[in-house]
Amino acid sequence: MPQSFAESLAPMELPDADGRAVRLGSLWESRPAVMVFLRHY
Amino acid sequence: MRAKESEFQRKGVNLAAIGLGDATYARMFREDAHIDFPLLIDENRVAYRAAGLRSANIFHLLRSDNAEARKRASAAGHRQHKLGKNPFQLGGSFVFGPGNADLFAHVSRTFGDNASVEDLLGAIK
Repeated sequence: MPQSFAESLAPMELPDADGRAVRLGSLWESRPAVMVFLRHY
Repeated sequence: MRAKESEFQRKGVNLAAIGLGDATYARMFREDAHIDFPLLIDENRVAYRAAGLRSANIFHLLRSDNAEARKRASAAGHRQHKLGKNPFQLGGSFVFGPGNADLFAHVSRTFGDNASVEDLLGAIK
């Protein structure tokens, strides 16, 4: 079974603009999350 | 999207953006664009690759749909900020749900090919 995008992204940690690490999966663990990948800022 | 932030909040969804560049760049953009939701930084494009996002090439700039998208954005009052170090990286929009469910996925095929807010809201029951 190919992984869903959500499964692939969930374990990744990225810093926010203030330097805090955010595990992506935590954003949609308990409710849906809209994730927008910007082409540029 | 930030103009519709309250609609997403009413639906009880989290909202986050992911960009390239570094923290200084991201903070400048956050202040400039007045966004309150989390802005994450994927400097090495690891998440972009995992999400299957594409890169454009120089010929995409010449496409008529690019010119139309630029006109639309300009008419809506949007302006282009700094391009950053990966100007050909394309974006995308997703809605994910509990249990790592893909509820909606839109991978941009060229510049200006963006999912509408209505599409994103429609993916949330």
